[in-house]
Amino acid sequence: MLKHNIKLFFRNINRNLSSFLINIIGLSTGLACALFIALWVSDELGVDKFHENHDRIYQVAENLQFSDGIQTMVESSAPMAEYLVAQMPEVEYAAATIDPSWFGKHALSVGDHNLKAQGQLVGKDYFNIFSYNLIEGDENQVIADPNSIVISKGLALKLFGTTENVVGRSIEYEKSRQFQVSGIFEDVPANSTVQFDFVLSDKAYKDEAPWNSINTDHWGSTGPQVYLTVKEGTNIDALKVKVAKIRNEINENDLRKSILIPFSEHYLHGTYKNGKQIGGRIEYVELFSMIAILILIIACINFMNLSTARASKRLKEIGVKKAVGAKRKTFLFQFLSESVLMSIMALFVALVTVALLLPHFNTIIGKQLALQFDLNLVLLTLGITFVTSLLAGSYPAIYLSGFNAVTVLKGKLNRSIGELWTRKGLVVVQFALSIILIISVIVVYNQIKFAQNQNLGYNKDNIVYFKAEGKVKEQLPTFLAELKKLPGIKNASSTTHSMIGHNWSTSLEWEGMDPDNETNFQIVGVDYDFIETMDMEIVAGRGFNRAFGDSIGMIFNETAIKAMGLEDPIGTIVAGRIPIVGVVKDFHFKSLHDKVEPLFMAIMPEVNKVMVRIEAGKERDAIKEIHGIYQAFNPGFPFEYEFLDDNYKALYASEQRVATLSKYFAGMAILISCLGLFGLAMFTSERRKKEISVRKVLGQTVTQVTVMLSNEFAKLVLVAILIALPIAYLLANNWLSGFAYHIPLQAWYFLGAGLAALLVAMLTVGSQAIQAANRNPVDGLREE
Amino acid sequence: MLLQLNNIFKWVNSGGQRIFLLKDINLNVEEGEFISIMGPSGSGKSTLLNVIGMLDGFDEGEYHFLHESVHSLKEKHRANLYKEYIGFVFQSYHLLDELTVKENLEMPLLYKKFKGSERKAMVADMLDRFNIVGKKDLFPAQLSGGQQQLVGIARALISSPKLILADEPTGNLNSKQGEEIMELFKQLNDEGVTIIQVTHSEKNAEYGSRIINLLDGRMV
Repeated sequence: MLKHNIKLFFRNINRNLSSFLINIIGLSTGLACALFIALWVSDELGVDKFHENHDRIYQVAENLQFSDGIQTMVESSAPMAEYLVAQMPEVEYAAATIDPSWFGKHALSVGDHNLKAQGQLVGKDYFNIFSYNLIEGDENQVIADPNSIVISKGLALKLFGTTENVVGRSIEYEKSRQFQVSGIFEDVPANSTVQFDFVLSDKAYKDEAPWNSINTDHWGSTGPQVYLTVKEGTNIDALKVKVAKIRNEINENDLRKSILIPFSEHYLHGTYKNGKQIGGRIEYVELFSMIAILILIIACINFMNLSTARASKRLKEIGVKKAVGAKRKTFLFQFLSESVLMSIMALFVALVTVALLLPHFNTIIGKQLALQFDLNLVLLTLGITFVTSLLAGSYPAIYLSGFNAVTVLKGKLNRSIGELWTRKGLVVVQFALSIILIISVIVVYNQIKFAQNQNLGYNKDNIVYFKAEGKVKEQLPTFLAELKKLPGIKNASSTTHSMIGHNWSTSLEWEGMDPDNETNFQIVGVDYDFIETMDMEIVAGRGFNRAFGDSIGMIFNETAIKAMGLEDPIGTIVAGRIPIVGVVKDFHFKSLHDKVEPLFMAIMPEVNKVMVRIEAGKERDAIKEIHGIYQAFNPGFPFEYEFLDDNYKALYASEQRVATLSKYFAGMAILISCLGLFGLAMFTSERRKKEISVRKVLGQTVTQVTVMLSNEFAKLVLVAILIALPIAYLLANNWLSGFAYHIPLQAWYFLGAGLAALLVAMLTVGSQAIQAANRNPVDGLREE
Repeated sequence: MLLQLNNIFKWVNSGGQRIFLLKDINLNVEEGEFISIMGPSGSGKSTLLNVIGMLDGFDEGEYHFLHESVHSLKEKHRANLYKEYIGFVFQSYHLLDELTVKENLEMPLLYKKFKGSERKAMVADMLDRFNIVGKKDLFPAQLSGGQQQLVGIARALISSPKLILADEPTGNLNSKQGEEIMELFKQLNDEGVTIIQVTHSEKNAEYGSRIINLLDGRMV
């Protein structure tokens, strides 16, 4: 029986090549989209899960009460780690770290070989908590000595050309200090959120700010990350309650309350509001899983519609088989096995497509995914295919097997109203989904364009920046003065932060302050000329000026002045001794997701980022010049610089990826929908052949017939538009509300998407309609 | 007694009116009979045949087939009954275009519990008997109308039914092919198969042992 069904399936393909191709293209496109998304989703879900004990690793975060709610900071204090191990029997290991994003890149040298590598400072049990497997060295010993360095396999190969006998050799650090290699770990996998090339002991900088903040017993300190593993079988809820009490027991004035967050879930669930975890990247994971399901549904609808529309071609088969005694079950089996076969064929096409397009997909999502068939992926793939075939095959199977033998043998098929409605309903659903996807893409794209062209309150273009270190840091004023003399350099200054992603804040007191005012101020430490270099605008008072001896003096932004309630801020004394010298126009120093917060700038000696404004169009020469002078100050230091506008773009990297991906997926959805529409139009004109002939014989023109046939589908797409618009509006509104600064929703986004869908649909149907209208009516009437 | 129809009525309701397709049909068919049903277009010949073949239901009356009361049987049992005892021959042959001659013959056996080897033997036997061994791998479209109907009859016979129902079996054939088909029916009838055919042709009706005339759903 199965053999018989398979044989019939393949012979039917031969007879109905066009509908077979429509089905296979539609299904395989849908499956390919779903596979891509499945690969991405399973990778996202796997981030940080490679640690052997990932379900027992937690991180300490602090909830801090402000007047406008609780703020969660994913960092803690250095003594927390020791305290946890000593006082909480449930805790197996704990370690504080200065994580790579804070510690940054540092110059390492072996002989004449210099490079910059990402490092971090970690407590002694770091390698016991995390599974960064050591090839050389012992987990308990590698960071015991403050002068030891543990390096990755990749770094060892770069510095020494080998991993053999590297342990014990020394590496020169920042051209100033020697570290001995005590161990080598396997390169950090790509799906780790913490990326680093080397590790130093928490004791390496016992006395040097700010790195000593990992090595202090001061509970008020902030900055370090604290990680821990709990023992197996620990009641985590009970432990959380105990941890929440720690700070108050030590210092009853401490405003912070410690919480435990599961380390491996932080990547996907990293957004906190009012002390509660509310989302994060998981939203994108869910969004794309949703898109995958929608696209598969659209593809399945094609299959259902074409199979039922094509039913007339199979009436005889069903009738004859029923007459010789085939039961309904037999047909259910037959049609389902057809859709299973179809899905399997589509799966093969999809797999080939995925394999070919994977590099491109990787570029878009910024990952290195590979088509590796582990058990999970195989099961997932087969699962998707099986569900698809059931979804696609069930309706046709039920529909086709329900025919009455006599009526179908007479060649008549009473198409019920319900059936026509079902088919039309399916087309409407398909197009509504496609239109929603198109509108989403337009909105996301425009918001990102808006973010990138938004007037930020400073000019982000042509700014190059790099870290001040070594002699550059020691002799910063001289270095800056030398820089400004170079051709192609407009201005130069330095700052504590690079304008992007900023989190250093404090509360302040000022003359005439309302005692209830709990405003939290962001701090930006700067050097002279910073405001000028960044092209910021002073709206009151003046900028910092050496001539005035402004080494004490503060400049606030407009929001801060408003929050402080100052009418005439210039000259107001802050913190008991510092005068406000100027007010700067608000500028964005975080992503546009966040509102501009109160901020002040002050001249600070420990600024370490050099910002240089270059003349437009002279980037290459200017950087060469900067490099030259940098080398003169810091011989042997690798010179690494970044462009501010590039990094600004990176702020929206995830949105950018969503935009690019959804552009492709929306394209796919509309393609699949149109394929379905094309097939349906083909069969409609076939089914109405006689009617068309009669109309033409009675004098209707080709144009009239074409319009009549196209209209049937235009109506469906219009209904789809009406359904899609409000849904898309709600979705877009919801997404945009995540941005403190966003575009208004404009009517043309919606009308444009609707018209585009209508146009594409009409082009698809129109070709079929014209062909049908142009046929010789005699052919249509002869057949009976 | 092979089958017995008692006071069979079949109707449809159209525009508030009841239109009778079959009206008070009483018919006894003995095994070995060869009956021709005649009548003008729309007189209910095909409907009667479909009722006898259990492909179509009726609204009133009793139908006994080999001592089974068809009118009180469930769909499933009815299907089992006609599957076992009845073979159908259609005017337009209704061979499946996607299947070869051999596969068309085999198709009905797929719905009964026969082993692959048994099916092969039965098909080979049938090909032999109808002298179409040479055509076994051809598709219906490659055969003449007469040859297609031959295959159609062979398909109806393959599961050795007691009764063959033929709805204008020669309607699409030229007179020579038609004659051959009728000779074949005659021969089958001589071998003991009961045949009921619907026909327009007096000449074809002559092959039968009894003629039933229908007019407006009524036996006359």
